[in-house]
Amino acid sequence: MAGLATTFGSGAMTNSINEIENAEVILATGSNTTEAHPQVARRMLAAVDRGAKLIVIDPRRIRLAEFAHIHLDIRPGTDIPLLNAMMRIIIDQNLVDDLFIDMRTENYHQLRDMLYRIDLEETAKTTGVPLERIKEAARVYARARKAVICYCLGITQHISGTRNVQSLANLAMLTGNVEKEDTGVDPLRGQNNVQGACDMGALPNVFPGYQSVGNLDFREKFEAAWQVRLPEKTGLTLMEMTHCGAEGLIRGMFIMGENPMLSDPVLSKVEDTLANLEFLAVSDIFLTETAKFAHVVFPAASFAEKTGTFTNSERRVQMVRRAIDPVGHCRTDADIIMGISERMGYPMGHESPVEIMEEIAMLTPIYGGMHHDRLESGWGLQWPCWDRGHPGTPFLHKYYFTRGRGRFIAAEHDPPSELPDKEYPFLLITGRTYHHYHTGTMTRKCSLHNRECGEALLQINGGDAGRLGVRGGDILRVTSRRGVIRITAEISDVVKPGMIYTSFHFSESPINALCIDTWDPLANCPEYKVCAVKIEQGEVA
Amino acid sequence: MSDKLILKKDHLTTFLRKLSKEYQLVVPLKNCHGDTLFTVIEDLDSQPPDLVNQPQNSLKEFMLPQQEVLFTYKNSPGDYSFSPATVKPPPTIFFGVRPCDLSAVLYMDVIFLQGRTDPHYLQKRENSVLIGLNCNTSFADCFCNATRHGPFLEYGSDLQFTDLGDRFLVEAGRSRGEEIVRKWGYFFAVAAKEDRARKYQVFLEARGGFARMVHVDQAIKRLREKKVDDSVWHELSLRCQDCGGCAYLCPTCTCFTIIDRPVDNVRGERLRSWDACTFAGFTNMAGGHNPVNAATDAIRQRFMHKLCYDVKDHGRPSCVGCGRCVGICFGGTDIIRFINMACEGI
Amino acid sequence: MTDISPLYLPQPAVINEVIEENSQIRTFVLSFCDREYNEKFTYLPGQFMMVSVPHCGEAPISFSSTPEEPGHIRLSVRRAGRLTNAMHRMKKGDVVGLRGPWGNGFPLDDMVGRDLLFVAGGIGLAPLAAVIRTCIKKRDQYGRISIIYGSRTPSDIAFADDIAAWGMEKDVECLLTVDKAEPGWDGAVGLVTSLFDRADFAPGKQTALVCGPPLMIRAVLSDLGNRGFADEEIITTMERHMKCGVGVCRHCHMDGRLVCADGPVFSLARLRGLEVMELG
Repeated sequence: MAGLATTFGSGAMTNSINEIENAEVILATGSNTTEAHPQVARRMLAAVDRGAKLIVIDPRRIRLAEFAHIHLDIRPGTDIPLLNAMMRIIIDQNLVDDLFIDMRTENYHQLRDMLYRIDLEETAKTTGVPLERIKEAARVYARARKAVICYCLGITQHISGTRNVQSLANLAMLTGNVEKEDTGVDPLRGQNNVQGACDMGALPNVFPGYQSVGNLDFREKFEAAWQVRLPEKTGLTLMEMTHCGAEGLIRGMFIMGENPMLSDPVLSKVEDTLANLEFLAVSDIFLTETAKFAHVVFPAASFAEKTGTFTNSERRVQMVRRAIDPVGHCRTDADIIMGISERMGYPMGHESPVEIMEEIAMLTPIYGGMHHDRLESGWGLQWPCWDRGHPGTPFLHKYYFTRGRGRFIAAEHDPPSELPDKEYPFLLITGRTYHHYHTGTMTRKCSLHNRECGEALLQINGGDAGRLGVRGGDILRVTSRRGVIRITAEISDVVKPGMIYTSFHFSESPINALCIDTWDPLANCPEYKVCAVKIEQGEVA
Repeated sequence: MSDKLILKKDHLTTFLRKLSKEYQLVVPLKNCHGDTLFTVIEDLDSQPPDLVNQPQNSLKEFMLPQQEVLFTYKNSPGDYSFSPATVKPPPTIFFGVRPCDLSAVLYMDVIFLQGRTDPHYLQKRENSVLIGLNCNTSFADCFCNATRHGPFLEYGSDLQFTDLGDRFLVEAGRSRGEEIVRKWGYFFAVAAKEDRARKYQVFLEARGGFARMVHVDQAIKRLREKKVDDSVWHELSLRCQDCGGCAYLCPTCTCFTIIDRPVDNVRGERLRSWDACTFAGFTNMAGGHNPVNAATDAIRQRFMHKLCYDVKDHGRPSCVGCGRCVGICFGGTDIIRFINMACEGI
Repeated sequence: MTDISPLYLPQPAVINEVIEENSQIRTFVLSFCDREYNEKFTYLPGQFMMVSVPHCGEAPISFSSTPEEPGHIRLSVRRAGRLTNAMHRMKKGDVVGLRGPWGNGFPLDDMVGRDLLFVAGGIGLAPLAAVIRTCIKKRDQYGRISIIYGSRTPSDIAFADDIAAWGMEKDVECLLTVDKAEPGWDGAVGLVTSLFDRADFAPGKQTALVCGPPLMIRAVLSDLGNRGFADEEIITTMERHMKCGVGVCRHCHMDGRLVCADGPVFSLARLRGLEVMELG
């Protein structure tokens, strides 16, 4: 979020998903697209079918890499050196879009000066990718008339996450690959409505529509509408809350649809926090690992039981309609929030989702034209959509960036906080699998999904496995400085020697118990993608 | 098909209304989102059947529901007993069934009724009357001409309709069709010679009107001769996004799975639900061994079954050429793409 | 309305006895709760039952008993997945559901008058035990019987009492081998094929029946072929994931054949030309 917001002024996909199909070059980085975003992957494959060039940056030989013209299999956490090398090559080969830089951006000199200082050979060595291949990728990307960069959590879940994103934005601006249709920088969202949650101000520093809490005008607007005094100070981030520990500042918590007892790093710290709260309420559709700590659990309605909107990766707001009445004592999220609010002495009084949407439209300029009657037919609207007459915005930053001029923010290599060493010789990468969603709260209740993928599998390279005497299906004990888990081995040459990979969906193998609790200081996103572990055979004692 | 009759289009709704007094009526209907689906029609006056667009679902949904209860069980110490499911489907007329979907029912008849009779299928099938509608124009992805299941149906329906402009030519195929024609005889006139000639004319036009050329026969031959290169399977497997959409929409994909769904500690239901042979778990054995290599052979099974095994076992491919998988597949591994890949270089 | 035959409806059957064959395999001696059904029930060696365990669904299990001893059946179950683990927790008096018999069975009529060679590994002895018991019951109809059985370790040898009893019969020879010896084991160590030189083979007048893990089947089939057995003289039985057991759901597909309906017993001649894991 912070990465694109600081460079472009808006932290969302600049394109529509459909546009990816028309790109000439697609650079996919830190995204296991076929598994995590199959509907995006289909556009990538369609583009490749039409002759587009695909560049994949990923330490693993993921399925998408099989379709790639260039696969840059970097060492995890060396995105910035790689992107800097590409940009230096683009400057050296005179493939820079000078006009775009002059007219539309600022602070270019800072980036250029930094790039002139780097040693290409050295940088290539850092990434582990041959310089020739980096050069080819740089040329292919820079020469395209329409080039799209898609990135996901492999970019952001590093301590350098924000600067990784800024570097991608630098690359796009350097070559003028923004502002046009089928051209841009596209973060792929991890969940169906994470974009909507951010849009609605589920962030510590903004009101709905990214209207800063620190800005008096915005604050007064919301105070007038809600008839309450609103805090002037920025709130806490997720990590600051779930990792505040027993002596933390937080005494009570209300968690909705989130399962930090499986999804956050160093689960022992999360447990320490939750177990010591004076009061915890959890609202979810099933009793999650987190809900087991709660004093009060609200049974929430599922997607099929409520009416409202979801906002997807491409800023598209779409209606979801109640198909069945809430089962048993379940209530919709709005019902739960309004019910609590009323008992706390602040009746909100919204009678329908339509009325809630009206308020959103009134107070949130980018949602200004979003009303249920407009969303009911067709495929919804993409923000910004300023008023009832506005058709929505398929791609961002046409004519000018949201923040005015696009800002180059140079970044230099910042290695992961924990790399393998003698004691913990393997580098652990975590991710997601096709068949399960997040902490498996829902998908692990589905027999077919469990049949297809019933347990966490630890991908380990054939060479490493041979050396350790590990065979597929063996039970392994994986230990980091923070914890130990039990997991089943899968021999796979998708991962390179020295590297292991698994997903975090399974509470039986809670991989986040191993992950390091360092995070990007700018976005507070944990470094899930790199930590050092050791592997032994056998059960956890 | 013996008797040839004429039903005026103006009288179609009236005719359906008469039928609806004795049968549940299932017809293609456009819903509020603009999707055409075979739907149980409640009110003939509010909306006429959509005989223009291809229904997105097929009759499989009715004959082999996405999920159905095979039986219920009770379980307590020393007791484990089973009670057959008791739901009985009402007599149902399916109207406006295209040749592809009708052929698909005939294929399901072979699967579920030849050899051991599947009681759950039989119960629905023997309660159904199929009224077919020949296709004067093909839909975007159709290729039933190449699989020889259309565009006109030769046999198998109870009544077969052909659109002749302001009237339908109606042919009674089976005894149930004849019964209906006899019972509501006053709707029908005997077809004139010109009507029959017109039908043939329409058929010729329909046969020549397909947008796609799909070399089904060639692909069948190449599969039989084992001439489809491994690289084809490999690429298709890489592209397949494992969604199962092709199998779920396919009117002849009848593979299913059976699971127990506990109702509480002492009661439960045994369900059967749709499954797809392209899923790795379809063949995975207890203990983790899989006799099928998911990386290449799962998708191979799908096309071999449709275009090779069923040709060997039943004389013609079980792909009926409806093209639904072409529309739904987002990995680009639909059957037309496969056939094109298999025939490349011929 | 046609009478609906209970194709998917199991019959309750009570566990009369649980025999622990080894740490992984238990034999369940069962009889149907419905006495009349139990009396009428018969089957062929090589066929299997779909076994229901409460809340666990169904799994196919071969008979290890002979229909020549009516009144009860034996199903030998190796612990592998959820259902079989649940079954291992069941005790005498507990009830399971049984549906069948399904599948084709061994060609006992074709084997009359011939010498018989049984080659089994691990749980693979279970379906062959059904044939062995039957042949011993009708001892005069068959020639010499040789049984070659491989286990992982001496303590993994299943059906040990049965093997000892069979070895006492006239013209029955039992040869055992293990992959890994343990203290006190003075028998053979190695794959089942390593015992082949010690057995009397008579291709032409002998039928070989083979069952075991896929890799073993592969090795044995090719070895027997090299020793002059014709494809028609080699019979094996296959294991696959199954759901319906009656040739509809297609989970057990094997290059166009269905193991439940076309098998599970196949002669090598029938398998030739098919792409089957067990043939390599």
